[in-house]
Amino acid sequence: MSVLTMKLLHITKDYPGVRALDDVSVSFGGGRVHALVGKNGSGKSTLVKILAGAIKPTSGDFYLNDEELHFNSTSDAYKKGIVSVYQEMSLIPGLSVAENILMGRLPKKNNIIDWPKAYQRAEDLLQLMKVDIDPHEQVSRLSMWQMQVVEITKALSFDPKVILLDEPTSALAQSKVENLFNAVRSLREQGVVIIYITHKLQELPLIADTVTVLRDGKLIGTQNLDDVSQKDIVQMMFGEVKTKARPSDLVVQDEPVLEVKGLTREGWYKDINFTLKRGEVLGIAGMLGSGRTELLRGIFGADPIDGGEIVIEGKTFTATNPIKMIDAGVGLTPENRQLEGLILMHSVKDNLCYASMKDTSTGLLENQKMRTSFAKEQIKNLDIIVNDINASCGSLSGGNQQKVVVGNWLNTRPKIMLYDEPSRGIDVNAKQQIFEIIWQQARLGVSAIFVSTELEELLEVCHRILIMRRGEIVDEVNPSEIDVADLYEICMRGE
Amino acid sequence: METTSNKSGFNKRKTYIFILDHVIEVCLILMVIGLAFGANRFLTWANWMNILRANSLKGVIAFGMTMVIIAGQIDLSIGSTVGLSGVIVALFCRDLTAAGMDLTLACILGMVVSLLMAVLVGWLHGVFQQKTGLPAFIITLTSLYALLGLAGRLSEGFPIPNQFPDWYNQLGGGRIGGTMGIPIPAIFLLVCFLIVWFIMKFTTIGRATYAVGGNPESARLSGINVGKTKIIAFIIVQVLAVISGFMTSGQVMAGTFTFGKGWELDVISAVVVGGTSFTGGAGTVWGTLIGVIFMGVLSNGMTLLNIDVHSQYIVKAAVMFLAVLLSSYRSKIKA
Repeated sequence: MSVLTMKLLHITKDYPGVRALDDVSVSFGGGRVHALVGKNGSGKSTLVKILAGAIKPTSGDFYLNDEELHFNSTSDAYKKGIVSVYQEMSLIPGLSVAENILMGRLPKKNNIIDWPKAYQRAEDLLQLMKVDIDPHEQVSRLSMWQMQVVEITKALSFDPKVILLDEPTSALAQSKVENLFNAVRSLREQGVVIIYITHKLQELPLIADTVTVLRDGKLIGTQNLDDVSQKDIVQMMFGEVKTKARPSDLVVQDEPVLEVKGLTREGWYKDINFTLKRGEVLGIAGMLGSGRTELLRGIFGADPIDGGEIVIEGKTFTATNPIKMIDAGVGLTPENRQLEGLILMHSVKDNLCYASMKDTSTGLLENQKMRTSFAKEQIKNLDIIVNDINASCGSLSGGNQQKVVVGNWLNTRPKIMLYDEPSRGIDVNAKQQIFEIIWQQARLGVSAIFVSTELEELLEVCHRILIMRRGEIVDEVNPSEIDVADLYEICMRGE
Repeated sequence: METTSNKSGFNKRKTYIFILDHVIEVCLILMVIGLAFGANRFLTWANWMNILRANSLKGVIAFGMTMVIIAGQIDLSIGSTVGLSGVIVALFCRDLTAAGMDLTLACILGMVVSLLMAVLVGWLHGVFQQKTGLPAFIITLTSLYALLGLAGRLSEGFPIPNQFPDWYNQLGGGRIGGTMGIPIPAIFLLVCFLIVWFIMKFTTIGRATYAVGGNPESARLSGINVGKTKIIAFIIVQVLAVISGFMTSGQVMAGTFTFGKGWELDVISAVVVGGTSFTGGAGTVWGTLIGVIFMGVLSNGMTLLNIDVHSQYIVKAAVMFLAVLLSSYRSKIKA
């Protein structure tokens, strides 16, 4: 078998207003693991989607060996031997390992499923991966890494030439990562082109042969892993970034509003201690799974806490729930605005008044005039673009939806706002507007905790940044004394 | 220029949605006009009073069912509650008067006990659903059988006739204004409609019900008490089923445990035809009132036109299918 090569020439992808990929040319050889890295929005997922046939490039071509490829759908890509293994598992928990691996392609004899042959086939594939998993086992009884390996084995059963692995270790415990790597190495021995997307840079020396870095849609470079240090890679990912200045009139007052003491939720975060002052915007940085979202949800009472206490303006809470915390003056804009923050089928007006239901009613009776004026006030202050106050929230753009979520909380006149990824999936202008809103509230004395995957945003928005790793606060930095590459390095350290 | 064209396009869309939202009213009016010409006894006072009398018994429950369905839940047990409440009242009347109690007092006591039972059953439905996360379909299906069995045991499998005081019989059989007057069940229908309509339209309970059915997690994180909201809806539908049970047993002057058997499906039909979304979060009590009248006029009209009962089922099936199709189309358009 000749050595496979996947070659990309001048790939560009434009979305309305954004160039997601800008003239990317790179080639990947068979029998090697090619890491693809870049911060959020660097274009790596766009590139993967193009290779997987999910979207088409605006211009540019790509080749497998010397054959030019044009995909109209992901099944086209499968036919050419390009298969993807996504973070979201595609396995069906109630079926056996063999059924999952051979899904839709179970061998048949006289139109009846030939079970002995199916199990044999699955067994052979699993042996090729050098893992000891029983093909008869039901998938729901497997551990996380075993499921991930079954997923890869399923990809292998398509006899692939290129495999795209999207963050395969993100859901795995540290101790199980090596098991998965063994499977990836077996895959490499088959001569397959392996493109490995990850944000865990410390994994790269263990598994990758080359590393390709994207930034803002541009190819920054491809290096052999032996030739670069982790610090070099971080430099390539971030380049020279100037942190935008925070408005100068934001003053943190001395008075503490929120004190978190020894807060613990088993398995998620432990012994969290910090103090938030009036008018302060406090950032929490950390990689996915570091416990930052869970911590916010714990403070708000969305999830139960196992220990510790929360003190708000002198009042101590050891057990919380959203109703109590709203009364205490806390608001949370959740990570996923569509599933947790809004009721999409209901109107903008309704969605702006759910959290403030108590304040817009007398006893059980709703005060319609007040509801309308509450809604209109937020629409005006937050500059929400909406034709009709009664239009459903589902019809708004992402940025406007996010503003409705924020407005819903500002209507409760909160003292502390918890913002979980408020800028996710919204355009640059809307992002800036959300930051302005956070600052404006800070001027009015509302304190904020701001969680974001985008480290530049944390540096821009916050007075102070706490760094979480594996459920613990490990460091605290001053945004004016650190750059984004260093911050990233601290977040990643020891992972 | 562009903004003007956008605006008129937007208004066209709004008009379109308005028409979609009120298709059932339009269909009802068309049907009434058609039947007025096609069936000669249709447009008489007596016939309309009959329609109301015949449909009020299930109709009152439909308003509560609307609440439950908007909350994203379902209650299949209401038919059994109808039978059980009649049996309880009949038993109280029979046994307590035998023990020397005044008949009116015994009857009122029986009614109070029935209502308390409804509150308890509704509360249990809500608590179980919230605590276990099991589908309300399964939970209330078990109550359907449990309550039916209980009613059967209490009545030893037979109707308990002629125990009620006269005024109780009037609840289901009486009319205001002589033999051609307005049936009392129709009054109950109107009052129950007004109460549930008011709750859903003007109170925080109504708002919370829509929110919980629309997205329980968003509702919870906005500080809405999801469990309590479901419990209230489950209790209201059970209480309305008991009221229907009083009227039903009064109409036939007997407590019979099989009364109400199978009603849950008729009630749900009326709610769905009235435009309430089965996925929760959307629907109106007004729509349900129209749905109840629509289904009532439809079967009355078909009977007047001498259409056999089997064909009537097929027509009803077609109407329901269209209604559900329309409702899913409407929710797609709006999103």
